[in-house]
Amino acid sequence: MTALVEVRGLRKAYGGRMVVDGVDLDVGDGEIVGLLGANGAGKTTTVECLQGLRTADGGTVRVLGLDPAVDGTMLRTLVGSQQQDSALPDRLRVGEAVELFRRPGSPRPDGLLAAFGLDGKRRTAFSALSGGQRQRLFLVLALLNQPRLVVLDELTQGLDPAARRDVWAAVRALRDGGSTVLLVTHFMDEAEALCDRVVVLRDGRVVDAGTPRELVDRNAPWATVRFSWPAERPWPRQPGVHEVRRTGGAVEVHGDRGMVAYVCAELVRQGLVPDDLAVVMPDLETALVGLLSEEVAA
Amino acid sequence: MSTSRIDRTRSADIGATGRLIGAELRLVLREPLVLAFVFAFPVVTVLVIAGSFASDDTGFGGMDPAQWYVSSYLAVVIAAVGLIMVPVHVAAYRERGVLRRFAAAGFPRWSFALASGTVGVTLTLAGCVVLLAFAAPVYGLPPLHRPALVVAGVLVGAVAMTGIGLLIGCLVPSARAAQGIGLLAFFPSFLLGGGGPPPSVLGPGVRGVANLLPLTHVTESIRDPWLGVGSGATDLAVAAGFLVASALGWWRAVRL
Repeated sequence: MTALVEVRGLRKAYGGRMVVDGVDLDVGDGEIVGLLGANGAGKTTTVECLQGLRTADGGTVRVLGLDPAVDGTMLRTLVGSQQQDSALPDRLRVGEAVELFRRPGSPRPDGLLAAFGLDGKRRTAFSALSGGQRQRLFLVLALLNQPRLVVLDELTQGLDPAARRDVWAAVRALRDGGSTVLLVTHFMDEAEALCDRVVVLRDGRVVDAGTPRELVDRNAPWATVRFSWPAERPWPRQPGVHEVRRTGGAVEVHGDRGMVAYVCAELVRQGLVPDDLAVVMPDLETALVGLLSEEVAA
Repeated sequence: MSTSRIDRTRSADIGATGRLIGAELRLVLREPLVLAFVFAFPVVTVLVIAGSFASDDTGFGGMDPAQWYVSSYLAVVIAAVGLIMVPVHVAAYRERGVLRRFAAAGFPRWSFALASGTVGVTLTLAGCVVLLAFAAPVYGLPPLHRPALVVAGVLVGAVAMTGIGLLIGCLVPSARAAQGIGLLAFFPSFLLGGGGPPPSVLGPGVRGVANLLPLTHVTESIRDPWLGVGSGATDLAVAAGFLVASALGWWRAVRL
């Protein structure tokens, strides 16, 4: 897979405080890669260095084969970008924004506006758009000039759940269309839902990276099985079980993933397969919350 | 980078800047409060103050006070645009991340300054026309003694004050701060730099302060050649110096 983004040892400090400290990052052609971390982890600074909006203090950065520090202006014409906490002039209308950001030779924007549900909003001022509509407009602007790489920074921040789902659908459509996306987010469910690979940042450093599944398997290699079980009936010891909790007529078995098979087999063997059997597998948020909140070792 | 690639980049930069100038000109026409201040304030004040002095008042170096003020008030339009409109506009764009969005979309660093400068100068020229259109029927227009120098004074003054406004807008943390600093800069400049009492009634200390203000030199670079009391060349050079200084300051200080 061709790497559109190659970052090695990126460093950036503000006033002596290191905010990005030796970050390595690769984004392959056609991937959606998530840059995940809590607020202040260095995500936005990293992508601003990738776009040449900030000058790195150290390390090497190549985006689409260009050095952002040297060819920043040209690079920014090749990368579609949605930025955190940015806006458009209040009185700029949707149609005018599209014409402002669209470069000569780029395709007509009608298809994109229709795809993102903004076709009927061409004469609507930016200030009159809802939060979800604004984010969808930013997506349209990021895609107008058919960029090879799209950088989306905190795309769904401040959106209600319905608007968030709309924007997620739009990003999935990007993936289906073959776009390469670098998605910056602090929402772990968003990274899990959208990303092929995730790079986890904490205090400016990469603390883990992989597919969402790999991250979950590595950081939360356990499962929980819950079911109703007669209070007077004991539950046998089984391989891979860490803990069995009994509350009245319910049992909760916590342990390695493999124990799920033993628990289910035991239920079948005893002829008491409960209707309320539930297997809870950890999600990315459960897996990473500890990793992201750990204190940095002194 | 190959030559053809550089040419393509330059061509794209020019196209992007052209689109930005067009958008900014459209947007400013949708700002009724800004337009009201830029167009109405100089008109109202010149109509009041130019009629406040007898035509034989000796404080104006033998000139008709009405003519003295009508020619001076072009600089008030310039200051209203440069010290009030531009800083607030730029600071608001910075505060809300509009400039970062432009930068991230590949608009070159200088393009927004050029667009703001173009809007500032265009609005200034329109404001001057409006001012003269209202003042002429009431006080008449003084004869233009050296029109080329007057035009140079207006253009250099407009660009210089817009440059100062851009610099303020790039340095302050918020639109509110830009408004405060803009007003603080505007009113002393307005009162001491041509829109207030004539210099002859000012004390030496206040006159010294007035001479330090960019607007004083912009006013004199327009008024002196207009009324034929001098070429205003020195003041024009000082205004051009402010223009260069603000441009250099902006280039070093600009943060998107």
